[in-house]
Amino acid sequence: MSADQERLIAELVEKGLAGEMDEINAIEDRVLRGKVKAALAKAKRAAKAAAPKEEKLVEESPTDAPPSENPHQKFGKMIEDKFPGSLAAGLNDTHIQLKPNNWFEIAKWLKSEPTLHFDSLQCHTGMDVGENMLEARYNLHSMTHDHYIEIRIAVSRDNAKIPSTEQIWRIGDWFERETYDMLGIHFEGHRDHRRMLLPEDWEGYPLRKDYEVQETYHGIVVPKVKEGWE
Amino acid sequence: MGVVHGEEMVLNIGPQHPSTHGVLRLKVKTDGEIISEITPVIGYLHRCFEKHCENVTYDQVIPYTDRCDYLAAMANNFGYVVAVEELMELKVPEKVEYIRVIMAEFQRIASHLLALGVYGLDIGAFTPFLFMLRDRERILDMFEMTCGARLLYNYMWVGGVSHDLPKGFVETAFQFLDYFEPQIEEYNNLLTHNKIFVERTADIGVLPPEVAISYGVSGPNLRASGVQWDLRRNSPYSIYDKFEFDVPVGDGGKGTLGDCWDRYYVRMLEVRESVKILRQALAQMPKDGDVHQALPKKIRPPKGSIYSRTETPRGDLGFYIESDGSPIPSRVKMRSPAFTALAVLGELAGGWMMSDVISILGSLDIVLGEIDR
Repeated sequence: MSADQERLIAELVEKGLAGEMDEINAIEDRVLRGKVKAALAKAKRAAKAAAPKEEKLVEESPTDAPPSENPHQKFGKMIEDKFPGSLAAGLNDTHIQLKPNNWFEIAKWLKSEPTLHFDSLQCHTGMDVGENMLEARYNLHSMTHDHYIEIRIAVSRDNAKIPSTEQIWRIGDWFERETYDMLGIHFEGHRDHRRMLLPEDWEGYPLRKDYEVQETYHGIVVPKVKEGWE
Repeated sequence: MGVVHGEEMVLNIGPQHPSTHGVLRLKVKTDGEIISEITPVIGYLHRCFEKHCENVTYDQVIPYTDRCDYLAAMANNFGYVVAVEELMELKVPEKVEYIRVIMAEFQRIASHLLALGVYGLDIGAFTPFLFMLRDRERILDMFEMTCGARLLYNYMWVGGVSHDLPKGFVETAFQFLDYFEPQIEEYNNLLTHNKIFVERTADIGVLPPEVAISYGVSGPNLRASGVQWDLRRNSPYSIYDKFEFDVPVGDGGKGTLGDCWDRYYVRMLEVRESVKILRQALAQMPKDGDVHQALPKKIRPPKGSIYSRTETPRGDLGFYIESDGSPIPSRVKMRSPAFTALAVLGELAGGWMMSDVISILGSLDIVLGEIDR
């Protein structure tokens, strides 16, 4: 790369950082344009990496610390303050890991507390996470405040019991029945705890990783999942 | 004379019944002609979508999503690829985004036309159904022109779409829109303000907004209850933030807010908004660009999970995808809007007459393929 070109790229990157993309987009030469854009992306990444450090400095000052941006950090901390010892793991950016014992009270509080007001259970599902553990996951959303969190509750297979939230979010009724149907997590306090999609007398829970299809069902041969392509 | 106590009778509607829109069984407890309790029984169309997903690669899931909501297959493709792309942090070319929006909005019109027409059919109005199906046919022709399929497209791929728009598509699309817009007025004259239709739908099956939110009801059904919530507006995905359109909500025009007529009419209004979006998208779409340019060689999202939502004709379609870093998803959960819409039926239909149950069920616009998966 010639020195001329390098200088040109540096100039354009500075402009790009200031938000003037038109000039960069107007470059005829595709190679040069690519180089400029790559340099711009690199500069932006560097700027981003530098930014959080400054924030930390601000937080260390004795004045009011600004609440952290990530909802999982913020609401996880609120839950910990209100229900001490209910978190099963440290706070992180993607989800809040809770213990199953007082989930019902926490869920009730999450819905009724005016600053949180999670009035919508968007999605509920379960997962076989291996090592003899099953996990229930709740995606909560607040229509009024427009914020969103994911809650995970892990239980062991031998004692797969989680309090039901069916009376808090009415859709929990069907969602929890489906999770029970597919993974065999029992929801305690559910008023209509039956299978949802499979027949009542089906054996096993299909979405567990070690599930094996039963040979016959009422004398009908059950087709196996085929391995690979035929 | 004392009060006469009738005996309660348990009645099955379905699984094979023309008014259940698929294989759905309704266990109905009746007291004479009044419904005292109604329990939907589902699972007759269960095809193990989520189990299949754990055995195929990410791109092989797309044809399965077609078969979930088979009346809005484009919208389901869209929801899934948006989720995978978000997980991979993949950016798709602008032209692809435009094509996707155009397809999704045409699909919305097609799906709503069928929903409205069949709803009329449920109530006993045969003619509007034929009119709406005739116009839906022209949209399907356009899909066929683009990707060769009329119902199940497998059109949207992770990172792109399967085919570029064919020559003459934009002109055909504009011709259709010019033809179609005056037709909406005709539907209104035929069905919307028809006295018999209004009598059968207004003030019936009222869904209050709090109940709707608690049941996770979304899309037109939620908006008919007066809640202005549309993912295309409230948390825009793809390029929906570039277009101007209104989010119509119910206002109890013929009766109470959130009744069957409102749910019907919100869909009719939405068709108009889709036309608006289509006109903007077709005009703004970049002329050239390669739709296969951003296709990844190997779809291998990083370890992690994502819950991504898109607005299909039926409401919020969510995909919860867990990736373990391999080319095969570790778990795919589909949160389908029709599932939550059917869950609310038990609450809605209690206390109404037998004939009203059909009217309420039709107004929810469910697709059993998506409920049972």
